[in-house]
Formats: sequence, C-alpha cells, structure tokens
Amino acid sequence: MAGIVVKGRFPRRRIVQTVAVNVFRYLFRGAARNWFRNMGSTAPALGSMTLLLLLSGLIGLSGLALYNLEKVEAGQASLLHVYIKDGATTTDVDVLWDRLARDPRVATVYYTTKAEALKRAQHIPGLPQIASATDANPFPASLDVQAKNIDDVAAIDTMVRNDIAVDPAYPTSYDQGAYQRIQAVLFGVGVAGLAFLVLLGFVAVTVTMNSIRAAIHSRRDEVTIMQLVGAPRWMVRGPFVVEGAITGGLAGAAAGLVTFALAMTGITAGAATFAQFAPGITVAVAAIAATIVLAAGLGLGSGSSLISVRRHLES
Amino acid sequence: MHLALQPGELTFLVGPSGAGKTTLLKLINREIRPTRGEVWVDGIAAHALKASRVADLRRRVGVVFQDYKLLPRLTAMENVALALQVGDLRVSDQEASERALDALDAVGLGDRGGAFPHQLSGGQQQRVALARAVAAQPPLLIADEPTGNLDLETSWEMMDLFGDIAAFGTAVLIATHNVEIVKRLQRRVITLVHGRLVRDQPAGQTGRLAWLASS
Repeated sequence: MAGIVVKGRFPRRRIVQTVAVNVFRYLFRGAARNWFRNMGSTAPALGSMTLLLLLSGLIGLSGLALYNLEKVEAGQASLLHVYIKDGATTTDVDVLWDRLARDPRVATVYYTTKAEALKRAQHIPGLPQIASATDANPFPASLDVQAKNIDDVAAIDTMVRNDIAVDPAYPTSYDQGAYQRIQAVLFGVGVAGLAFLVLLGFVAVTVTMNSIRAAIHSRRDEVTIMQLVGAPRWMVRGPFVVEGAITGGLAGAAAGLVTFALAMTGITAGAATFAQFAPGITVAVAAIAATIVLAAGLGLGSGSSLISVRRHLES
Repeated sequence: MHLALQPGELTFLVGPSGAGKTTLLKLINREIRPTRGEVWVDGIAAHALKASRVADLRRRVGVVFQDYKLLPRLTAMENVALALQVGDLRVSDQEASERALDALDAVGLGDRGGAFPHQLSGGQQQRVALARAVAAQPPLLIADEPTGNLDLETSWEMMDLFGDIAAFGTAVLIATHNVEIVKRLQRRVITLVHGRLVRDQPAGQTGRLAWLASS
C-alpha cells in the first residue's frame, strides 16, 4: 500500500522563535559565559574604561557648566551700562537715548533710574554696604544698552563716552578685554580637557583591544572549530564584540552612576553656590549625562572589540 | 592538476610527506585561497569566494581531522548538535539533539552522547568527529589522516564508516599514509608528489601505488 506523505509548513512563529533562541545562545549567552571566564584578563580594561568614562562624564558636565558660564558672561559683556551724570537734563538723556535706539548695532536700550540702580545694587555682594554707608543714593542712573554683537560694545562705548549726558568721571561699564580674557581661559580649559580625554580614550581603547586579543588567542581552537563547522562570520566574531560591549556597558554603568551621584551631591549639598559656579547643571542634566556615559561605554567597548576582532581574527 | 570527485565515490589521496595532500584539502575547504586555478564544490566557486561567504561553502563540506577537533566543554551529542545549529539557525534544540543522536547512533556511539571528549577513547572521539561532519548531510566529506592516531582495528572500523557514508551518495576524499588500507580497499587512489597529481588510479585498479614505486 502506497503511503501518503503530508508535508505541512513549519509555523513561521516557531521558526522565528527557534532562530531567536539560537542567536541568543550563540551570541549573548556564550559571550556572557566567556566574559565571566576571562574576568581576570578583562579587569584592566574594565578599570581603565571606567576611569575614562567617569572623567568624561565629569569633564562633560564641567564643560557644560563652563559653556553656560560663558554664555552668561557673554550676555553680561554685551550689556553696556552708560552712566548718566547727576546734573544731566531730560532732553540730553532723551537725545542720547534716541541716538542709541537708532543705532543698528544696538538691540535694546533701557533707562535705569537711580532708585532702580540702588535696588539692583542691594542684590550684588559687597554693594549693600556702600549703599547703607551714606544717606544719599550713590548709584547713578544709566542707559542699559544691549548690543546685538559683543564685538560692537567697544565702538558703542567710544560713541557715547563723551556725550554731554554721560558722567565724565565714570562714563560706562565697559572693561576692555575682560570678556576676551574669560574666553581665552575657557578655551584653554576646553582644549586641555579634550586632549586629556583623547589620551585617556586611546589608553582605554588599546587596553580593551588587547584584552579581546588575549581572549581570541585563548580561544583560538574553539574559534577554528566553529569556523570549520561552517559557523557564519557574525557568529564567530559576534561573541567577542558582545564581550567588549559587556565590559564597556559595566564600565559605563559604574561611571554613569558615580557621575550622577557626584552631580546630585553638588546640587543638593550647596544648592545656591553650586548653581552659581555650575549653571545649568540640574537633576535632568545629570541623568542625561549618566545615560550618555553608559551609551559611550557600550559604544567604546563594542567598537574597540570590533577593531580587535577585525585585526586578529582571520576568516 | 585537474581533479573531479563524483557523488558516492570514496577516494584516497596519497603521497609522501610534503606532497600537498593537506594543502589540497585546505583548498577545497577554503582554509587557504588558491593563488591561481579553480576549486568548485557543489556548484560553489571556492577559489573566488568572499571571506563572508566561506561559511556557506563549509556547510557543504564535512571535515574530519587527525586530532578530532572536538570542543572539550561540550558532550559528544552537543558537539554534533552545534555543527547542525551553527549551519542552520532554524534547527531547534530538540531537532538538533535528535539528529545528533541519530548521527552518533550511525557511528556506533548512540549510548555515549552524554560523554565529554576526554571521557572517550581516540577511536570514539574520531567517530564523534565523523558524526559531526556528516550530521548535516554534506555532499562532500574530506578527511585528513583520520586514522593517524588510531590502532589498526579502530582504523578499519573508521574505514567501514567512510564506506557506508559514500554508499549513501556522499563524495568522500581521504588523505592518508596508511598503505595497507588503501591497498586492501581497492578504491580510487589519487597520488600527489611535490604538489602535482602524478597518478589517478580508478577503483579496483589500484595495483602498485605510484608514490611508493617512485620512492
């Protein structure tokens, strides 16, 4: 009697499930097992990468604070206080106001009375004592000129300092070169920080590459057998890249947590002072920085492993 | 040299040390790339294959080595199942286990599937390696001195298995120094000397071995 063979299609869902299980086993579980087995040789890479990422996180946050500080300074530097002499007439002040308001380099002009100047001075450290030292108000009225471009402040200063309405003894708040000095210092700090990070990054990548190289050599027989039984290239190389990602991920997690903890300590411990010397560093910013550090760790670990695998693992 | 292997044909590759037997096997399996000439395996141009496609070729070529090359941390069954799954990720654990046990059964080790390589004798390890090589039913099986580490009795058992595999339609190419086996089995014999094919003797007409006669 002839038999009947019914060939049913294997359910697609089962195929996908089987493939997923196998990929997980050969790529991730194998990598995790090997990572634990090679923990001794991975430790230096883990340490140097954690250090790099921690410093990156802290330097990044410091850079952001400096950037914000520079923006504040730039805003202040582009605001020119033109001090009005005590005996100036309203007409003279109006003429000067109009002249400034019509100038294309000027964004806004605001008139600050002597009373407002006194009130403002009371919020500036050191000035309240001067204000209370005398019965009269020692602070002059001023036209507060917001320049569109910080580079035009000097020209505006030159234009107004000999005006009839302006105090000849102390005409404006313009301090030549002050902003440029701040910029130069910040630039120097930025370059030094970047150079330090590049150097540390080079060390971390080299150490990670060497640890993966050692892992490849210690498992050379296993790799050869996998290749000879027809394992595709990703299956042979993948576990090493995942191992690197585990190292980088752990380093990133540790460094991210410490970065977040340090930022939080600063924010909560000295709220007022911290906001002054690290403007813009909030809980949300610290959390984002920690996440970036974690992502950078994953990228750095898997990237340096990939380079090592491409160099040291022949097809 | 020009050489073609037919399905179901068991062929011996003989020659003195340094003749190029292992090199020829490595060329077939694309462990090395030919500087010139062509190597075709089951319709695949091994000589022109990109590195990323070599795995496709190797899934069509079963390989048995003198030193077995089993993964020491895996059992016999897992070693065979691994080859099935890395070649085709759609093979489930259950299917891989069943097929691996079938393959081990076919080489007489159905009851040793749970044993680790170090718990097996040399002959048994070589049979596991053979089961691994043929579990995915490749059209070509190559073996480099498969009896080199085995005693005579075990070597004959291995040769019986190679004969059975060829009988099922697989082309089998065995590089060997074992003159006794080559002479008694009377299969096709290809003789290499200094990288050149000096003689191709059909099955049943082995007669004197060319490289022995010349040495």
